[in-house]
Amino acid sequence: MEGFIATKLDEFAKGKISRRALLETLTVAATTTFATGATKAASDPALKVQLINHISYNCPDFRKAADWYSKVFNLDQVGASKIDVALPFGKKGEKPFGVTANDVPLSSLIIRSRDLNTPANGRAPRKSQAVIEHMAYTVADFDRERAKAELKSLGVENVRDGGLYSLHMTDPYGYDVQISGVANNALSDGA
Amino acid sequence: MEKFIDGLIRDFESGKLGRREFCQTLGIATAIYAAGGPRANAAPDGRGFKALGINHVSYQCPDYRKARDFYASMFGMQVLNDKGKGRANLAFGPEPGKGDNFLVIHNPGANPPKPTEAVIDHVCFTVSNWDEGKVRGALKANGFPAPTGRDGSLHIYDPFDYDVQIANAVEENAFRR
Repeated sequence: MEGFIATKLDEFAKGKISRRALLETLTVAATTTFATGATKAASDPALKVQLINHISYNCPDFRKAADWYSKVFNLDQVGASKIDVALPFGKKGEKPFGVTANDVPLSSLIIRSRDLNTPANGRAPRKSQAVIEHMAYTVADFDRERAKAELKSLGVENVRDGGLYSLHMTDPYGYDVQISGVANNALSDGA
Repeated sequence: MEKFIDGLIRDFESGKLGRREFCQTLGIATAIYAAGGPRANAAPDGRGFKALGINHVSYQCPDYRKARDFYASMFGMQVLNDKGKGRANLAFGPEPGKGDNFLVIHNPGANPPKPTEAVIDHVCFTVSNWDEGKVRGALKANGFPAPTGRDGSLHIYDPFDYDVQIANAVEENAFRR
């Protein structure tokens, strides 16, 4: 990006392009550089996934869990029913962090209290050999020591280090929850 | 952004900003814009944290290679950090460090997870540019001729009978429930 900026600046300094052309070129470049993911998505196969849409979290009292996640992660609760509520990672109208496509909604937690032994989505449930044994969430401006102090002040239980870039904790139902900044990502985790 | 660049050009023209500083400043500004802008990184007003999104899902199964191959080939996830030691990351969405999501697929460790009262009973992934015919056709071609659910929101089971949902932004959206 910087090489491109330097080239355009040189062209402007030498009078090859106008001030207006420089401004327009740099603005377009700066605001579309990050959109490569969206461009790529258009040429990907029909099943190419872009982001987690939601996590379905089932527990004995969805209100209790939802209040905990709202408190710790500052998440709003929307669309509550008698058995569930959604906690989107952002406000209505916002795009997910890092995403520019218009058809990728905010990820959300859907916290439920339902009988998992009854048929849902048109089929009988199966006993899975796989388990999601913890969930990790990204927060802004993550600093491990500050985060540790904040979690403890919020009354969060079992706060413990999780490598260089994260902390683990336990939610009200004993579920393992990890918190980190963007430094914990698909390249750094397990590297 | 245009206003910001306009100011930079003005500073460059008046000599307040050198060529190198101009390029570096705009480069940094572009990177911040790409990461979601200052608003996205702002600390919360109250207590707790400003959550940006889901970081990863830790998926434990009897054979990580089988799950790895399924999610990579079926949903176009990128395999990273697979050292052949029982775990791999499967990345998707924005670039790593810029809002990516990933699955950590792994074999059971020495210590099994403690039983809890909560369970993640399914994960739903968003498919962009959803085309019902193409999506159903691709599922059929991959051995899933009859997914359950409804148009725009389909369920299948993965190789370990874990419930996987794929959906578009219309059918699965927290603000449209």
